[in-house]
Amino acid sequence: MKISGIKYLANQGIENIWKNKMMAFATFCVLLISLLLVGCSVLFYINMNSMILGLGNQNEVAVYVETDTPQERVDEIGEQLRNMDNIGSVTYISKKEAYERMQSQISQGKEIFDYIDDYQFMPDGFSVTVVDNEQLRATVEAITRIENIQSADSSPQVAEFLRELRRVVTLIAGAAIIALAAVSMIMISNTTKASVFSRREEIQIMKYVGATNAFIRTPFFVEGLVTGFFSGAGAFFITWAIYRSVYNILMAQGMLINAFGAGSIVPFADIRLYCGLAYLAVGSLVGAFGSVISTRKHLDV
Amino acid sequence: MVELQNVSVTYSGGVDALNNVSLKINDGDFAFVVGSSGAGKSTMIKLLLKEIDATSGTVTVNGYNLGKLKKRKIPEFRRTLGFVFQDFRLIPSMTVYENIAFVLRVLDAPLKYIRKRVPYVISLVGLHAKTNSYPDELSGGEKQRVAIARALVNDPQLIIADEPTGNIDPELSYEIVELLKGINDQGTTILMVTHEHDLVRHFGGRIINITNGEIVYDEIVTGTNAEVLPEVELAQAMENAARPRPQYAMPEDIGENNVPYVDDVIAAITSTATEQGGAEK
Repeated sequence: MKISGIKYLANQGIENIWKNKMMAFATFCVLLISLLLVGCSVLFYINMNSMILGLGNQNEVAVYVETDTPQERVDEIGEQLRNMDNIGSVTYISKKEAYERMQSQISQGKEIFDYIDDYQFMPDGFSVTVVDNEQLRATVEAITRIENIQSADSSPQVAEFLRELRRVVTLIAGAAIIALAAVSMIMISNTTKASVFSRREEIQIMKYVGATNAFIRTPFFVEGLVTGFFSGAGAFFITWAIYRSVYNILMAQGMLINAFGAGSIVPFADIRLYCGLAYLAVGSLVGAFGSVISTRKHLDV
Repeated sequence: MVELQNVSVTYSGGVDALNNVSLKINDGDFAFVVGSSGAGKSTMIKLLLKEIDATSGTVTVNGYNLGKLKKRKIPEFRRTLGFVFQDFRLIPSMTVYENIAFVLRVLDAPLKYIRKRVPYVISLVGLHAKTNSYPDELSGGEKQRVAIARALVNDPQLIIADEPTGNIDPELSYEIVELLKGINDQGTTILMVTHEHDLVRHFGGRIINITNGEIVYDEIVTGTNAEVLPEVELAQAMENAARPRPQYAMPEDIGENNVPYVDDVIAAITSTATEQGGAEK
């Protein structure tokens, strides 16, 4: 086909949007709503996941070094810990700091420990966070195997709870996203079918004058692509506005941020590019192929 | 050329629509197909358009054996035909010009050629004042003339007209058939399905009557009096109808597109007629 032929078909697709503006608008709205539903669900899941991970990061492993270990060896242990797999952060807690912590954590600790001047009986220690809570148990065991480590304590129940929570959230969010995607596909399919059905005679006439299926489908493809692209763009800007509002509200909740850790709610700037590209790509492709697939039934003339 | 050899069509419900039909329409013929509703006329049209396949027998149209024609070759085959339907079947979102130009677009004809060709065909059917009108803005007769122009624009070897006068006023029906006759005079084979006996009587020509899926009558009659031609004249008429289509050179700007155009046909016919000292009819 000549360039002028391709240009003609592309122009036909764009003209058809205007000529069938009501159906094009209906397709645009259905695509926009579908994209918003699925997109917001995905973003909700991403944030839930991030918040659970944020909780997990606060699940520390307390590592205690044997009391008579020289300082050089304690420093070496610190290095060893930092070089281990699945270690997020390693904070050294000296005997003195540990002593002060104990004093502050126990009720009337100041009075109880007042008569003890020496804190050398306290062990040196490290506060360690892990990257992947799923591997907490294995990481704790590996820490325990290091020479001169007296013990490494964690809360496997917390890790277990978080793992379970993440599994449930993934399951529910996954099911919701699949259900929404399925409902969206049905809505989009019905709308594009209705749009194509209203022009079935046009398709039949084209077949009678010897147009190939590709010739007939190309304007429908372009029409769906353009409509889908604008739906994607619309969904992106609406998501941006909603996300920013919700993000600002959540960030103003100090307690929430303390509980889940700062940064556990993903800033929109971090996902803007992916979000935009996903909306545009999914919108365009669903629009284009939805439209083309709907023509199939009417092409058999 | 259209040739049906022992063609039968039985629908899935067991209805025999055509029963062992044999028929030959030569290039340049003008044939009326008549018959009552349910006689098998529509089935025959569907067969010729390759909308359906024959249950048995062979259907050959413009050199294509439709029984063996692959699905992907159907568009190529249909480009050798022109169709005129009772309900016009114009694309409502396209203007008169666009409806006609669309056929040439399908053929990937050069834009320059389309711009020259479409106004010419529009003027042939006398609708140049309506070039930019939409089908909704036209009368029934005008719509049918657009449909004829569309059928004509790629200069097909055969035009199939399925009750082209069915949706228009009786007086306009004569105009439409006159137009089709004029096209036939330029060498295009016309197969017109109709149930308007007045028209058939008026114009005469080859009349094929289908009843209960069988051809019960296939003769050439003279116009107005509906008198059956004598045997000798019939043979002569058949011979004339079977004359070869004029050969002409393809315009250079069409390129690989192997489809002739009617103005070239007209030019070729005119020159042939001049050489022979008058048009042979």
